[in-house]
Amino acid sequence: MKQLRISLILALLFFTLCSTSSSFAEKDAFDISEIEKKPYHIGGNLEFKPVLFGLDRNASLYKLKFYNRDEGSAIEEYDAKLQLEGSLEKGISKLLVKTNTDYKKSYLGEDQQTTIYEGFLSVKPSSSLSIDVGKKTLKWGKGYAWNPVAFVDRPKDPDDPELSLEGFIVASADYIKSFQGPLKTISFTPVLIPVYKHVNNTFGDIDKLNFAGKLYFLFYDTDIDLIVLTGGSKTTRYGVDFSRNITTSLEIHGEFAFINDYKKNFIDSNGNNFGKEYDAKSYLIGLRYLTEKDTTYIFEYYRDGTGFTSGEMRDYFTFINNGYDSYVSTGSDSLLKKALSVTEGNYGRINPMRDYLYFRVSQKEPFDILYFTPSVTLITNINDKSFSFSPELLYTGITNLELRLKAAFVSGERLSEYGEKQNDYRVELRARYYF
Amino acid sequence: MLKILISFAILAFAIPVYALDGTALLKQVDRNLSPESYESYRKLINIEPDGRKKEFTLFTVKKGADKVASLFLAPASEKGRSTLRLGDNMWLYIPNVGKPIRITSIQSVVGGVFNNSDILQLDYTAEYNVEKVEEKGDEYLLYLKAKTKAVAYDRLKIWADKGKKLPTKIECLTEANMLIKTLYFKDVKDFGGGILRPAVIETDSPLYKGYRSVMIYAKVKARDFKDEVFTLTFMPNIESLR
Repeated sequence: MKQLRISLILALLFFTLCSTSSSFAEKDAFDISEIEKKPYHIGGNLEFKPVLFGLDRNASLYKLKFYNRDEGSAIEEYDAKLQLEGSLEKGISKLLVKTNTDYKKSYLGEDQQTTIYEGFLSVKPSSSLSIDVGKKTLKWGKGYAWNPVAFVDRPKDPDDPELSLEGFIVASADYIKSFQGPLKTISFTPVLIPVYKHVNNTFGDIDKLNFAGKLYFLFYDTDIDLIVLTGGSKTTRYGVDFSRNITTSLEIHGEFAFINDYKKNFIDSNGNNFGKEYDAKSYLIGLRYLTEKDTTYIFEYYRDGTGFTSGEMRDYFTFINNGYDSYVSTGSDSLLKKALSVTEGNYGRINPMRDYLYFRVSQKEPFDILYFTPSVTLITNINDKSFSFSPELLYTGITNLELRLKAAFVSGERLSEYGEKQNDYRVELRARYYF
Repeated sequence: MLKILISFAILAFAIPVYALDGTALLKQVDRNLSPESYESYRKLINIEPDGRKKEFTLFTVKKGADKVASLFLAPASEKGRSTLRLGDNMWLYIPNVGKPIRITSIQSVVGGVFNNSDILQLDYTAEYNVEKVEEKGDEYLLYLKAKTKAVAYDRLKIWADKGKKLPTKIECLTEANMLIKTLYFKDVKDFGGGILRPAVIETDSPLYKGYRSVMIYAKVKARDFKDEVFTLTFMPNIESLR
């Protein structure tokens, strides 16, 4: 707690110093030297984030993680992140690199990890064609919180959908053609995704060369994408998405994904493993509405055809509880370890169930406070009626500094998704400085 | 009687002449503000009532009446963001988010008094019809009405210098003639290549009392671009045009 208070004081001090320095740096003159193009660029951002977690000691996921330790009712964590971006341009070629270094100090001690998020060579022979080779993120789909058609991306966190993500090693191209009339643009993006022992081995089955493609149209003022992924690392899947402004202040979007022969692995309350294979259909429909008072509403409904049913999730949580009871009575954690083995990438996905609603309201610059945006986000699991509620305050009034105070509260009955999360609440202050 | 007949004759000729001249005059104002296809650099400064400022630097390209794209060069927190406008369609590309999202003309990607339609300004003739023109001393006063509901301001009143055919002031109004903001065009400058236009646009708004925003132009020059530059797929690559 003491460390958390010190962190908050340091963050406020940082805020004050930056505020003072920005007022000295102001100038109206247009300095031409600042717009001269250089062949290289180095930049990035540095982030500091103290977090306080309020633990739910009766929750299944608390028991799974903390069964052999007692950390009290709340734990602190101190996260720091450094993202570096660099580019070097020569002629029609450009080399881009983006690294991410995470530092974490928590009840488990200190941990640090550096990952190359992106690093690729881009060649642009003309404005109609570009070819990229290397590690990059594609970020397909139109949804804000979820993207069922993002077949070649790592899943994003609906609680923080704008975080940058690590890419995959790919070879891709973009070919663009513009027209007059209702069909204004067509672009085609073919992508090769090699998956071998040391290349993209988290993507799916190894020793396969996968192909993905995206065909984009701007047709009657509507963005439309047709998407496919095939090749064997994952089962073949097809997708379509769209986005369109109905009025100047109302945008609608949607995604539909069809996944051939999806294999679902699940466990019953006694720990017996099962497998099921079926064609999964996932879809999302959403809207974004902006009022005259600059209030933005984002609403999305997401159906994940690969998700678990309420019964399957209850079985999983019940198995953890049984495993915990067994640990308490016998001292053996074998059942909990088995539960842990089916959690990663399966039950442990960010939203592992079937039907979700996302609702976010943000008010830009209320009370004439420039660069200040308060917002609230509600993510509801329709199947078990559990939910997460997150208010946040964002201030970007100081050049290159972004301050965000955010809390998240989860609620739900026992054996429901949010009811069994390890935390009842989370409070964090994120100070991010761009350079 | 003769006076009445002469008056009717003058009116009968005068009204169509004004209507015709209004559209031609607005076209001339558009072309004097910028070539049909061009590139430019701009600095946007938001000034708060207490004098604090926030600055943004943009590289902008435009083609024809309805295609315009901008790339943020500074500050570091915005660098790499780009915006695209194709007629009524507008998108914002944020490098972290990675994919363009649709935005609206009444939003503002920079905060402050300028909104997206001010930053991604099309030709006035692309969005407005001239309802009437009045002569006010050394200036024309053009009354404009939006062609569609998709336009950010339903009505504009443009005061234009008679000699230079350049705007000096524009009032942006709602359908009910409520003032949303006023743009002041200042510091007419020769950018070379026959481009003589105001280098500074200031704005204030009764909706943001005490706040001001300023747009400063530099390196405005005629340049042709392929249509493919003004597409969603090209948005991450606008930097390659510099």
